Amino acid sequence: MRSLAVTLALLSVAASAPAVAKDTGLIFVSNEKTNNVTVIDAKTAKVVADIKVARRPRDMHFNADHSKLYIACGDDDVIAVLDVASLKVVGKLKTAPSPEAFVMDEARRRIYVASEEGSSLAVIDIDRNAIIKEVPTGAEPEGVLISEDGKIVYVTSEVGDVVHAVDVDKGAVVKDVVVGSRPRRLAATPDGKELWVTAELAGKVDIIDRAKFVVAGSVTFLPPGMRKTDVTPVGLTMTKDGKTAYVTLGHAAHVAIVDVPARRVEGYILVGKRAWGITLSRDEQTLYVANGLGDDVTIIDTKTRKARVSVPVGRVPYGIVVDE
Amino acid sequence: MSRVVRVALAAALILGAVAAAAAEDAAPRQQIKIGFVAIEDDSRYEPIRAYERLILKTREHPFAGAEVAIDEAAALTRVLNTDFILERISAKSAAEVAPAVAAAFEAGTHFFLIDAPAEAFKPLAAAVHGRDALLFNVSEPDDALRRDLCAAEFVHVYPSRAQLMDGLVQYVVSRKWSNLLVFEGPSPGDAAMTAAFTRSAHKFGAHILAEQHFKPGADPREREQNDPAILSAIYRDYDVVFIADEAFDFARTVPYRMIRPRPVIGSIDLEPLAWHWTWERNGAPQVNSRFDRKTGGRRMEGPDWAAWVAVKMIVQSVLRTRSSVLAQQRAFILGDGSFDGDKGLALSVRPWDHQVRQAILLAAPYEVVASAPIEGFLHRTNVLDTLGDDEPESPCHLDK
Repeated sequence: MRSLAVTLALLSVAASAPAVAKDTGLIFVSNEKTNNVTVIDAKTAKVVADIKVARRPRDMHFNADHSKLYIACGDDDVIAVLDVASLKVVGKLKTAPSPEAFVMDEARRRIYVASEEGSSLAVIDIDRNAIIKEVPTGAEPEGVLISEDGKIVYVTSEVGDVVHAVDVDKGAVVKDVVVGSRPRRLAATPDGKELWVTAELAGKVDIIDRAKFVVAGSVTFLPPGMRKTDVTPVGLTMTKDGKTAYVTLGHAAHVAIVDVPARRVEGYILVGKRAWGITLSRDEQTLYVANGLGDDVTIIDTKTRKARVSVPVGRVPYGIVVDE
Repeated sequence: MSRVVRVALAAALILGAVAAAAAEDAAPRQQIKIGFVAIEDDSRYEPIRAYERLILKTREHPFAGAEVAIDEAAALTRVLNTDFILERISAKSAAEVAPAVAAAFEAGTHFFLIDAPAEAFKPLAAAVHGRDALLFNVSEPDDALRRDLCAAEFVHVYPSRAQLMDGLVQYVVSRKWSNLLVFEGPSPGDAAMTAAFTRSAHKFGAHILAEQHFKPGADPREREQNDPAILSAIYRDYDVVFIADEAFDFARTVPYRMIRPRPVIGSIDLEPLAWHWTWERNGAPQVNSRFDRKTGGRRMEGPDWAAWVAVKMIVQSVLRTRSSVLAQQRAFILGDGSFDGDKGLALSVRPWDHQVRQAILLAAPYEVVASAPIEGFLHRTNVLDTLGDDEPESPCHLDK
């Protein structure tokens, strides 16, 4: 689980998965409005299964051996547990109201989940299927990320414009940092030094120095021909070498490619309407993007930096993960 | 304020923010009081009735909108070492608004949400003129407050009639429904709404084929004024009927009773609004849900949205300047500040007339059909300035 520790909402869980992964090569897409998960075969780019889960499925994470996929379902206040081999829902964990993004700490058998309507970070005991603690946060908490040692959970408050650091042993917020308007999702650089957070309405990523817990820089986006006001970054993922980040720009219908050490935009890739969820394949050759208002996903070749194909899924696709 | 001064002030703010962050733990806790000023028996909030016991629409003061924003700021009170305190100030009449605000100002309140009709604003502007106060208009659309009264102490969060009607006309023009019939009611508000609509039609190239004055009633001798079929028969064909009827009494009888099957816009069916309870983008469902919980099931409306945004602007001004000085908070709100109103494009204050730039929702009863500015209406700096009085059109120049 430690290798999983720095993954975040919608980030490439598969990229850091251990060798016991089943490698089905399946892509899972959660659809907020049709209450299902669409399963796509990565090789053929064809839909192979459609699984009803619970209402409003959003963030998804595999457990360490990829035998299970956990899916937060916002309107039923549960995290559904999907068996990856049989593609059947085998359990549901109760959460606080409107679960959105979450992280798992399998060593401690815990899930930390942002409760959007409850304005809290709920701590779930996976084995007991119980909420053991609710840590109050700013309104509309969203992005969640756990530190490498499992001691700190970072959570954004979309309305409060802050990122909280929650000490999981104390069960309390220990530090706050003010960031750009409407912070959404988080990614950590592999060296453990920086936390990248998308600020949707500020049209940028803020870079937090984790040691000092202050904003140390930012990267702003503006694809050619787009209006600044359409640039609404939400999802982001980073390569394992920490050199490249990919950021979905929401209504601007592009993914930004960012040189991480230089904090500079290298280019933009055209995708679908309101792109949010994003994940990389394990070999980092392929990028998958969920287009929330296009009801499809875009599959991108990272070498040519061009979209290869778009695949229709359910209504309002939110998250996307790959089992490999 | 000149550009040079603003840049210098911005630099001072950044330095101030660093100092404030360093001294955060030691600094005494700051209190920011926000006065919510409303009038008892404000006729704008009387229920609209069909009969005494048949209420068509209930209307409520937007205090709960402000409360929701105060709740949202709870997590920031720790970060900012600041408490935001909302005080309800009740005036008996429009004439008593100015003295009530003056008294609260003397007692240390500098931010006010003004929930009052247009006639309260002129004496209010005189009472606070040149003082260290910022007053947010949260419910009055009157264009004259922006154009003629033109007072530096006001921020108009609620959209002007010009913004609302521009949004509506942009939509019909975008659909090529450009031939319009107008039905105007008897009240001064109906006249103001019609004037704004006419101006918007000229602005965006729509054609008003005829303007009919209606008179609600059943008198057969006045059927040319009270029968929608006859009123709409004046012209051979038209794309849309616009109706201005604050009382709502006549408007609700118009749909499906005209000669031709044409849509109705304005006071019924497709209305231009600051907010609608079915808006489901830009984080709106979460706000609607918090509002619903706060009020025990009331649906959030335009003034609620404006009160919510006004408090958010105040909170942001403290958050982004890290200053306890009103002049700096005000400079942020009126200057570079941009704000999230859950309507997509970021809100900001127009420097010339202090109107908040914002999207206008075009709402049918159960669906937001479109959000203006409509795609294709472009502006050289900010598409939101295609709605309402742009700088060259405005007679008010607070920034000059």
